[in-house]
Amino acid sequence: MLDRELKKGSAELLILSLLEARPRHGYEISKLIEQRSAGTLRFHVASLYPLLYRLEKRGWIQGRWIEKAGQRRRRYYRLLMSGREVLASQRRGWRVFVEAINRITGEEHA
Amino acid sequence: MPELGDWKREIGEQLAGLRLAPVRHTEIVEELAQHLEDRYQELLAGGAAESDARRTALEELSGNELLVAELRRVEQSINQEQPVLGATKGSHLLQFLWRDLNYALRMLAKNPGFTAVAVLTLALGIGANTAIFSMINTVLLRPLPYSEPERLVRVVSIRLRDGADDNVSYPDFLDWRERNHSFEGLAVFETGGATLTATGTTQRVNLAIVSAELFQILRATPSLGRSFLPDDDKSGADGGTDAVILSHGLWQRQFGSDPHVLGRIIHLDGQNYTVVGVMPPGFQFPIQTESPELWITIAHDSAGKDAMTTQRGAHYLDVIGRLKPGVTAARAQAEMSTIVSGLNKQYPDIFPRGTRVVPELDKLVEDVRPAFLILLAAVGCVLLIACANVANLLLARGTGRRREIAIRTALGASRGRVIRQILTESILLSFLGGVLGLCLGIAGIGLLLRLVPEGIPRLSTVGTDSRILVFTVVLSLLTGILFGLIPAFQFSKSDVTESLKEGGRGSSEGVHRSRIRAVLVVGEVAVAMVLLVCASLLIQSLLRLQKVNPGFDHRQAITFGLQAPATYSTAHNLEFFQQVVDAARSSPGVRSASAVMPLPLGGDEADTSFSIDGRPVPKTSRPTTQFSAVEPDYFGTMGIPLVNGRDFTPRDDLKSLPVVIINETLAKRFFPGQNPIGQRIQPGMGNGNGYPPMREIVGVVGDVKQSRMNDGPTPQVYVPLAQSPFSSITVVVRSATEPMSVVSTMREKVAALDKDVPIFAVKTLDEYAAESVAQARFNSRLLGIFATLALTLAVIGIYGVISYSVTQRTHEIGVRVALGAGVREVLQLVVGQGLRLACVGIGIGLAGAFLLTRLLRTMLFGIQPTDLTTFLCVPLILFTATFLASYIPARRATKVDPLVALRYE
Repeated sequence: MLDRELKKGSAELLILSLLEARPRHGYEISKLIEQRSAGTLRFHVASLYPLLYRLEKRGWIQGRWIEKAGQRRRRYYRLLMSGREVLASQRRGWRVFVEAINRITGEEHA
Repeated sequence: MPELGDWKREIGEQLAGLRLAPVRHTEIVEELAQHLEDRYQELLAGGAAESDARRTALEELSGNELLVAELRRVEQSINQEQPVLGATKGSHLLQFLWRDLNYALRMLAKNPGFTAVAVLTLALGIGANTAIFSMINTVLLRPLPYSEPERLVRVVSIRLRDGADDNVSYPDFLDWRERNHSFEGLAVFETGGATLTATGTTQRVNLAIVSAELFQILRATPSLGRSFLPDDDKSGADGGTDAVILSHGLWQRQFGSDPHVLGRIIHLDGQNYTVVGVMPPGFQFPIQTESPELWITIAHDSAGKDAMTTQRGAHYLDVIGRLKPGVTAARAQAEMSTIVSGLNKQYPDIFPRGTRVVPELDKLVEDVRPAFLILLAAVGCVLLIACANVANLLLARGTGRRREIAIRTALGASRGRVIRQILTESILLSFLGGVLGLCLGIAGIGLLLRLVPEGIPRLSTVGTDSRILVFTVVLSLLTGILFGLIPAFQFSKSDVTESLKEGGRGSSEGVHRSRIRAVLVVGEVAVAMVLLVCASLLIQSLLRLQKVNPGFDHRQAITFGLQAPATYSTAHNLEFFQQVVDAARSSPGVRSASAVMPLPLGGDEADTSFSIDGRPVPKTSRPTTQFSAVEPDYFGTMGIPLVNGRDFTPRDDLKSLPVVIINETLAKRFFPGQNPIGQRIQPGMGNGNGYPPMREIVGVVGDVKQSRMNDGPTPQVYVPLAQSPFSSITVVVRSATEPMSVVSTMREKVAALDKDVPIFAVKTLDEYAAESVAQARFNSRLLGIFATLALTLAVIGIYGVISYSVTQRTHEIGVRVALGAGVREVLQLVVGQGLRLACVGIGIGLAGAFLLTRLLRTMLFGIQPTDLTTFLCVPLILFTATFLASYIPARRATKVDPLVALRYE
């Protein structure tokens, strides 16, 4: 399990990446993170939603109430232009960071 | 099985401490609840037991302090984060304001009737204020159009014997100028008229006679040529002629804007003047209704053997000065007082004088300021009443809004938030009222200009400028806050649970809020009462003034001015005047004609001291009298009764015995119980041959109002024009037909005698009589209009309150009717309520009027500020009006059907 600080630092990147393909609602985001990390990463309500609101306040993503047939309305978040730019630069940064860590810890790159 | 609502309750409780905006709060709660519900459903689908699923789902909220802390950081850090360019704190506030404004607009649009009445009421109040303020702005506040105008002061001479302002003599002025250290410069000026002959035409023009340094003091430079030099004050400085400076207007009109006009010779009353300069457009001095079109120097008065400028007793000039930098008017005043008392000791033969130093602007508007300020106070009162009315409307309407406000409070709106919303609405209302008011005000200015009397300085240039705009905007804001605050505080105090209860009929609402409404109405009635009393006093003054007998018959008589050319000798003047009067007498339709100097109510007066033969008194304690020089048959032509003795005849000339006719007041005051005929007095006015002669009284005539209709009886003496020559006169022609028809005949006849002498100031005696009461008419009309407005608004106010209370009390009235109350009792109940309010208001208003009407004292004529009849009748009018205002809703109350009224129980 990654430690909390690291999780928090990377959380923005995770959310933005997940929204890149299409808009999703909060529960869906949390499920995807849990599934794709095979349970390593899990976001509780208390950490996920404040983060979503913060990204929204920054103008990177935008939430909108959408009602689908037979369902209660849910708030879907979509990636905005500025969010896309941030995502691109964070990806680059993350790659550089991971490479640096690898070089130091001497592990073989897969 | 839990429902979404349960999650919501759970989350809502946790987030309560965050105090989020209600909308945001709901949104977050819903989103999180949805998340928990999804998790719960998933767990159930996965085969978990309900209780387990529920517990697990709620674990999502675990570490809820974290949730609250995180949310607080995100939700309340909007401003620090600056996610969007320009999203500062200010724009956040603006956003709130915008939302309030939007809401307010919707509320107003939903109640068009209420909005229209409120906006119109406010527009009337604000418009009246805008109109009056724009006049005050133009006349009283706008700085004078000279450089550093605050350093310009008027030095006024005061007659110590009666404390009245007076003019200054030239020798006094020379001493003032030499002895003072306070002024950069002092100058004298007087205004008059002259016959201008130039470029082949003759016309009458207004001119000013000034001392050379005047333009220097005003810091005014000609646009062409030069201003006066110190030598111009001496006669014949410019190669034998005197210098003249033209106004821009005259230069354009008379000289076709000729750039080579400098050095040209023009003729004023037959004398030669050299044009030395042309003033720039817009230059005016002195500032008056018909301002001078040319300026000549005091050299004009120092010419000839009867020089005005050498007599220390000839007080006929005004003095203006520019204070040295850093010198205050008070310091200049102290120095001038010392100088003047020194002169009093030095010349004991002259009536002792004092002095006052007044800022030029203050002096200019001295006479009109009190009237304007009273009008401003009156329109201020009208606005107050309008405010009270709108506040009442808001209060009445607000009762219907109590539930709405209670809901907003329940949803988390703070008291400040509710107050802000209500104030936004009232300010929006007053702003709309202000916009309409500005239009009404600007339209009103045009109307006011038609009512104002002539002679108010600068008023003709009245217009709207940024100051009017600022005034109206600020006034609207203040108005909105004023009438909005009471309802705002009232509603924000509402008890939420009480208001939300279904069927809250508002019996508890009644007491407090209806007391406030009652206080507002009482205030309205009181203010309206004061205004009505003031207006009534002024109107009665005007009526009395119009009934005043001026002592002469002003019907069907025409007058015109005549100025003999300076080239005529004294004898020639007289002969010329007599020829004109004779020509008038022989004109068709003319009954009689004569001439006088100065004309009663014509704006001029001459007074002089006199002594009585055989009653020696020191020169400085002699009595004074009005002085007029007249042609024979003046009294007959004017319709002034000859009480005793005889009229002048053509034989009363310089070669015969000097004679005088006195008025009844002089006879009564100085010859009580005696026959004045044959007695001798010596008025201190020369006969053109040096020392003033002792004159024998040959007749006594009725009193005449010489300067104003509201003058008290004043002693007056008349001498034959032939024995006290003037170079200008006013001819009076009494006609059998329409008086104006004589004018063209007279113009031709005068031109036939001397083509270079125009007749001027053609006016009927009726016009002079009307002008003399114009100020009083203006005051009473305007105050009358404002008082009527105040009365109307107050009556509407009472009607509104009573009518509303009838609606509120329908149930109670229904019970009473059911219990056997008749029409009479119901009427009594409702009308009684209105009259009680009116009576309290009238009482307070009477006390206020009693204290305030004394401020009107100087504007009243023939009536006391505390006139008993007025103080009895006006309350009666107000009482009747309020009776009617409460009777109409009372009639409605009598029609209450007890069944309908009680069904709601």
